Formats: sequence, structure tokens, C-alpha cells
Amino acid sequence: MLSRARVESVLDRIRPMMQADGGDIELVEVNGNSARVRLVGMCSACPSAHMTLFMGVEMALRDEIQEFEELQVV
Amino acid sequence: MRAPAPFSIEQVVVGESPRMRAIFDLVKVVSRSESSVIVTGESGTGKEVIAQMLHHLSARRHQPFVTVSCALFSETLIETELFGHERGAFTGAIRDKPGRFELAAGGTLFLDDIDDVPLSMQVKLLRVLQNRQVERVGGTRTLPVNVRVITGTKRDLKKMVAEGKFREDLFYRLNVLPIVLPPLRERREDVPVLARHFVRRFARDRGIDTPEISPAVMDAFTRYSWPGNVRELENACERMVQTCSCGTVRVGCVAASVLFGAASNPRTGLPVPAAAPQPISLDDRLKQVESNLIGWALKVAEGNKSRAAALLNIKRSTLGDRIARCGLAEPADTAVEV
Repeated sequence: MLSRARVESVLDRIRPMMQADGGDIELVEVNGNSARVRLVGMCSACPSAHMTLFMGVEMALRDEIQEFEELQVV
Repeated sequence: MRAPAPFSIEQVVVGESPRMRAIFDLVKVVSRSESSVIVTGESGTGKEVIAQMLHHLSARRHQPFVTVSCALFSETLIETELFGHERGAFTGAIRDKPGRFELAAGGTLFLDDIDDVPLSMQVKLLRVLQNRQVERVGGTRTLPVNVRVITGTKRDLKKMVAEGKFREDLFYRLNVLPIVLPPLRERREDVPVLARHFVRRFARDRGIDTPEISPAVMDAFTRYSWPGNVRELENACERMVQTCSCGTVRVGCVAASVLFGAASNPRTGLPVPAAAPQPISLDDRLKQVESNLIGWALKVAEGNKSRAAALLNIKRSTLGDRIARCGLAEPADTAVEV
């Protein structure tokens, strides 16, 4: 089982930039080796933000955490 | 591959970095010459843009500008591509075909990726350049060559010569006037200018109002190292403009790989205002820009103030006043960021 802290540590790297733009990425839950996140604030309503951001975040998570499986967007 | 957009000299964006400004000045001087030029730069740094500038500023501007990427062809194909072939020269040669040297007659031939040309072909190329005449493959006629040759390379040819991968005689034949383009990560101050330019252009193509770029995005862009250089930045901007739905390009429009890459680079201390509005002294900032540009002009003009004034398009006397106002000392002491 993956710890929240490990997922958060990856998200934390891009968080300051998102927050500077009035947005954030919120970790809803970690379930096994997968995680669910939510975009909040600015960009949360933008359909393309989901594609551009989440695909890359999932890739980064898989890069850094070998056992990471899937990132879901809530 | 993207179809090349028609080139116009006004389209070329001169960045703020002293290095690029010095390069553009060099291009203006070199364009009047007929000698061979080698443009060295990583992929995406704009070698072809420089080649096109050289052509469009030269006396050959009304003649053809022909580009060949030597990396695209196999060893045998490159020969027929460059020199052409006669009908029946080999199986499948059903008609005469002029080579790129012929097609560029009177104009400029840009041989990109010259570092990918195999040694056996280098001999033939050298012979053509030396004798200034070309023979089509399978042909007997000798055709005169009247082209200015510009070559592009992503590798250091001198090093390749030392390693025995590039002919020394060809290197000297080509390397009369070298122009070296810096990678984008070494001129980060140009990123905002270029990003705004590309966003404006792609918005115009798409028929939408030019979106704003948020300070957070600009900050990420100036910190990211752009391994694909200006071409990568251009593609990032195209994507942002294509997907932007709210009129402002924000962090959500940027590929996460760029954000993660930017996050691993420390802040560069570039003049990008922080997202939270903080007072910026416009006067101080303008003074800084002014003294940087004056320092650059003095350096390029080797301390000659009349020439420096001409470079800045101001009077000689005005330059003197401004040097005094900026507190710039003699050129030798001027601090120029390079």
C-alpha cells in the first residue's frame, strides 16, 4: 500500500506553480497503488487542463514510484 | 514534418539576449559576403532561420533558396538529390532530374545536417565545391555551379575532424564564416519574448484573440531547460493556443513534463514579476534595460561611440548623455550580461 506522503511529495513539486496561478491539485485518496486527485480553483473547469496536466502527473508518479498504477481524476 | 511557412525577415524575433543580438549583427555583415558559412547549433536552435536570413539579406535574395537535410537521405540517394541524375542512370530513373545544386542556381543552398553526410560523399561534395561544377549521376555534361553554400550542423565539426569522421579539407572549405547558435537554456531571457511571439502567431492562425500568458506560466517557461530549444517552445505554444478555452494561458495549459522540469531548476532571478503583485519600479527597470543595451552596443562597436549610437538608432550626442545618466563608465568597465 502506497503512503499518501509519497504521492504528496511528487505533487508538491508542481504545487507552487499551480497555486501561483490560483489553482491546486488535491489528493483525494490513495487506494492500493492508485490515487485519486481533484483539480481545484483556476483551471479546474478547463477540459484541456485535465488532459495536459493529468497525463503528465501520472507519468511523473509512475517515474518516481515504481509500484504506482493509476491516477484517477475525480 | 510541418510545411515551411513563407519566410519574411520581419518575422524573425530578435531576443533580448546580448548573444543573439550580436549574432544578428554578424548575420547582417556576413550576408553581404559570398563565402561559405557554417551554422552550428543544437536541434531546434534556428539554424535554418539564420540561413534564410543570410539569403534574404544578400544580393541573391531574388534567386532561389534551397534547403536539403542531409540526414533524410541514404548514401546513394543523397548523391542524386544533390547532383541530380540523367534518365536511365539507374533502375527507376525514368526521367532527368536536376539536383539541388542546379535548382539553387544563382541563389543559396542550405545543406543542413552536414554532420550526417558519409565520408565517401564528403569527397564528392568537396570536388563540386572546389571545381564549382557538377555532373549529374549517369551524365556526361558538366554544369557550372553558382550557389552560395551555407551548412548546418548540430555537432562540432572540428571535433569530428579530430575523430576522423569528417574530412579536414571539406571542413576548411565550408568553415570560412562560423556562426554558433546558443541553446535556449543559455539565453533564458529570450523565452518570454519568443513565447509571446509564438502565442500571438498561433492565435492569429486560429482566428482567436491572443491569450494572455500568466506570470506563473512565464516563470515555469523561463526555468525549464528546453532540450528541444526554440522548436520545442514553439510546439508548446501551439498546443497551448489550440487548447486554451478561457482566454488566458495558465499552468493548467502547460504539459506537466514542463512543470516538473521547471520545478527541478532553481529560480533564475529573471525579470519576471512574481504572481503576487509586488511593486516594481518602472524607472529602475527601464534604466536597467537601457544600460544593458548601451553596454551591448558599446561592446559590439568595440567601444566606438558613433557606431554604438548607430546600432541603437540614436544620435551620438544622445548616447553620451545616456551613458552619463546610466552611470556607465568606459566600455572596458561596462558590465554586460552574456
